[in-house]
Amino acid sequence: MSESVRKKQRMSAHDATDIDNPSTIYDDLQRLASVAPKPVTPYRRAASASVVTPRTPLTGRTPRGGPATRPISGKRVAPTTPHAIRALRERANAAKTPGRVRRRSGRVQRETPRDILRDLSRALAPHTRPTQPSPQVPFRPSRHSALDLPDIDDEPDPAAPRLSIPIGDMYDDDDSVHEPPPRQSLLPNLPEDVDDDTIHSLEFGRRALSEDPRMMYSGRASERFADLSDFGVDGEEYEIDGTFINRRRTMNRDDLLDQVPEEEDLDETTAEMLTGRRGGRPSDVDLGVFGDMDDDDTEPTFRFTIPPRMQGPNQEEGEDTQTRNLANQTILEEEEDTQTRNLANQTILGEEEEAEEMEEDVGAGAGAELGQDETTTAFQVNNDADGFQQIGWESEPEEDDDGDLQAYRGEVSAIDRSLQTPAPDDVDAQKRVGRQRKALNVSRFGHEYPSIPAATVKKLATGFMKSQGSKAKISKDTLAALVQASDFFFEQVGEDLAAYAQHGGRKVIEESDVIALMKRTRQVTNSSTTFSLAQKLLPRELLQQLRMEPLSKPMRQKRKQKEMTHEDGGDD
Amino acid sequence: MAPQTLYPRGTVKKIVKAHANRTLSKDVDIMIFLNYALFMQELINEATISSKASGDRNISPRSVNKVRETTLRKFKG
Repeated sequence: MSESVRKKQRMSAHDATDIDNPSTIYDDLQRLASVAPKPVTPYRRAASASVVTPRTPLTGRTPRGGPATRPISGKRVAPTTPHAIRALRERANAAKTPGRVRRRSGRVQRETPRDILRDLSRALAPHTRPTQPSPQVPFRPSRHSALDLPDIDDEPDPAAPRLSIPIGDMYDDDDSVHEPPPRQSLLPNLPEDVDDDTIHSLEFGRRALSEDPRMMYSGRASERFADLSDFGVDGEEYEIDGTFINRRRTMNRDDLLDQVPEEEDLDETTAEMLTGRRGGRPSDVDLGVFGDMDDDDTEPTFRFTIPPRMQGPNQEEGEDTQTRNLANQTILEEEEDTQTRNLANQTILGEEEEAEEMEEDVGAGAGAELGQDETTTAFQVNNDADGFQQIGWESEPEEDDDGDLQAYRGEVSAIDRSLQTPAPDDVDAQKRVGRQRKALNVSRFGHEYPSIPAATVKKLATGFMKSQGSKAKISKDTLAALVQASDFFFEQVGEDLAAYAQHGGRKVIEESDVIALMKRTRQVTNSSTTFSLAQKLLPRELLQQLRMEPLSKPMRQKRKQKEMTHEDGGDD
Repeated sequence: MAPQTLYPRGTVKKIVKAHANRTLSKDVDIMIFLNYALFMQELINEATISSKASGDRNISPRSVNKVRETTLRKFKG
């Protein structure tokens, strides 16, 4: 209004200057009045109610006032365009909807003490289970090869399970690398058995070897001994085995001459006796600083006890029951005459020179001839894979005897190799291993199946190790162990799933079975669903395929829960 | 990351089928492999712990074999 007045005054002044046309002045004032209110009104309207005159006033005002224009523009734009309208509606809906509340309620539920207790139970579950005797019993058979139980009932069945375990896994690394079969067989046993105590046991072996070989063979032994000691220092498994072998073998020769009857009577005790005698000899030599007697005692005992444990897994790797049987028979024969053992071993190795020497020493050439065919086959197998021997040992009550026998065999073979080149045997062994690797395993039900490819296992394992933050690489031995563990796992899972499917009256294993299994093992809980796990661990392609079906079930459950909460809220 | 497929689906199916003596529905092997991946994770974690406890820097086969039974038992349904 004030502006209009001023304008009028200005106009009047102008008018005064132009007195000539009074009517025109009046008209001008009218025009001005008509014009003036227009700008004013839109101005006010723009501030208070923008809807009526949208654009023209805005454009005029934008330069003037920042604060007034901004809110107006926001409000105006949103409603006009369909996009903005939708957005506003969604906002409003979002504010109104109880979605947030629901989520919070869900979160609260997830965090309930019940879940905490579940986690606790999950953590405790492994500890509680082992205490029960019943699970252990079934587990062992599964280890060896699930077929052990059937073995008792039917002889043919047990053979199949043993086959199921792949020998190739054990020896994959060794074969590919470079090592002679007998050494390999010895190696796994020693380190595994010793575990924590490895250092002590190894040291004892070295000393004993060094002592014995020197005593027995002045010329050869001295040379050999030096090599062995070097290796032993390095801590290599082969060397350790060699030491054991050498030592025992020497012992065997002496002992055989002196104590043959004792060994036959008492297997374990005989070993101790032998060791004791050995100790006496080395003490005379005074190689060392170590208590000879103590060392000797500890060695035999540790050997006997440990091999069964360690060899348990190896047994599974056993190739054929036939070979096992042969090995067992050979063992029996060997037990009859320790002399025959040495002879047979040497003959098997194919080192005629050694055999001749042995015959002279032992004075029992006839023993060597006994059951050479069987023994030879068995020994070859043994050389190729320790697993066979071990299987035989475990399955039969003669384990202790077997352990001694193994040691003896190993000694002989090692000595021979160290003295002479092992070439022919090793080559044969490797060839055999290669064949066995290719061969499919046979499950309990007689189905052939491949073992899970090492590349997959390695990929998975390295992935987890990286996620763990360790850069360490996976060695071949470790990979073999992992592959073996995976085979056991699949065997276990297969049996479990079959049981679940059968319980559900189905012949087909379905996702629900796996989910049930994972729930039972507490891999799937309220806080970690199948899909969250899958999202973490699986690539997208698999995830998508996985989502096709199973998603529906959890969704339904969630909906039900939501409905429940809704109803509760409504009631409240 | 995963090249084409994370694992040979056919092989896994064959393995489980041989052990279970039952047919598998179409995509079970994915779930089974998921379970297996969890198993491997657990196994490697445990093996790392036990190998560190025994002073090894890398995972040793010995530690894997040590842990194997307990881990398998954890996944026994």
